[in-house]
Amino acid sequence: MKKTIQRGLFTGALVLLTATAPSAAHAAVNYQALVDADVKKFQGYFLKEFPGVKLEDFGDGVYALDEDSRRQWREMEEFPPYELDVEAGKALFNKPFANGKSLESCFPNGGAVRGMYPYFDEKRKEVVTLEMAINECRVANGEKPYGWKKGDIARVSAYIASISRGQKIDVKVKSKAAYDAYMKGKELFYAKRGQLNMSCSGCHMEYAGRHLRAEIISPALGHTTHFPVFRSKWGEIGTLHRRYAGCNENIGAKPFAAQSKEYRDLEFFQTVMSNGLKFNGPASRK
Amino acid sequence: MKKVLSLLSLLALTPSASMLLAEPTPPSSALIEQAEAARKESDALGYEWRDTASLIQSAREALQKGDQAESDKLASKALFQARAGKAQGQYMAKNWKMMIPEN
Repeated sequence: MKKTIQRGLFTGALVLLTATAPSAAHAAVNYQALVDADVKKFQGYFLKEFPGVKLEDFGDGVYALDEDSRRQWREMEEFPPYELDVEAGKALFNKPFANGKSLESCFPNGGAVRGMYPYFDEKRKEVVTLEMAINECRVANGEKPYGWKKGDIARVSAYIASISRGQKIDVKVKSKAAYDAYMKGKELFYAKRGQLNMSCSGCHMEYAGRHLRAEIISPALGHTTHFPVFRSKWGEIGTLHRRYAGCNENIGAKPFAAQSKEYRDLEFFQTVMSNGLKFNGPASRK
Repeated sequence: MKKVLSLLSLLALTPSASMLLAEPTPPSSALIEQAEAARKESDALGYEWRDTASLIQSAREALQKGDQAESDKLASKALFQARAGKAQGQYMAKNWKMMIPEN
């Protein structure tokens, strides 16, 4: 009888262990450590490639690599072309909705929240970007969402970025779902696509610092620190996802929609790679 | 009775609202259909090329103008692009990690 009870208890314990084993295995994976190892390797690539450039200077993009361009850019930044957009963004941020609330009611810290985005929302199981949060606030308050690539969305984003300057990038990847999104972004970054069979990394890692006609190709490290940007080519301010779409078109690939899951995952991956740098947007670029 | 019959025949000849509102079927050929099917496959992988859809559209327009040769030429180009995009997507899904540069 005693043996039967012991055997029963043993079998029960075994069944319990087997049932909990997969989740225990998941909990045991330290996704942040996996990501941190990637960050170290990624940043190490650029520090080795450009030994004269300090890590924090990569937030200045291509201007961290070339002294002449840097000098011209600094002169331009004395009277920044995005200044009026930041002012307009501030007005939009504080403008009351029809219900009396405003964008300010959705964001803590007076709107100095650039450092909180992007993040992986564990309940929604998706990456949330700053632009997404701005439009979700508008919709939740009965207002129409802004367009995603330029105009008011970029202006509000520019205002938020401007009052958040200096906030440290510290994007966390805590769960399997967050890691999956990170890996999707990583795949999009490294996989070659389009008629030219090129990838983000092909240009912005392997060819970073080299000339593409008259332009110098920017390094991927720090890419997401300074958006939205006023691009001379656009003649106006635009969002990071507008830039992603432009890059994809340049290589002959059909771009994804701005704020699509694909581009949000890419932004998530790229921002994680810049962990340790500071947000310094908005900025001007060629 | 005569009036009712003529009214009924008039109604029978009148196109219904749904017929009037329905979008006209775009002109197509076997080659265009093949290219469109392949384009959708490359799109499902996230690897559609930039110009494939516009090439198919141009092929349809050429067909509408009665230029079968031009339409076939454009549709063939689109079919090549769609198949290449699909192959690219299938290859990258398995091998993208090999593209991570080392220094």
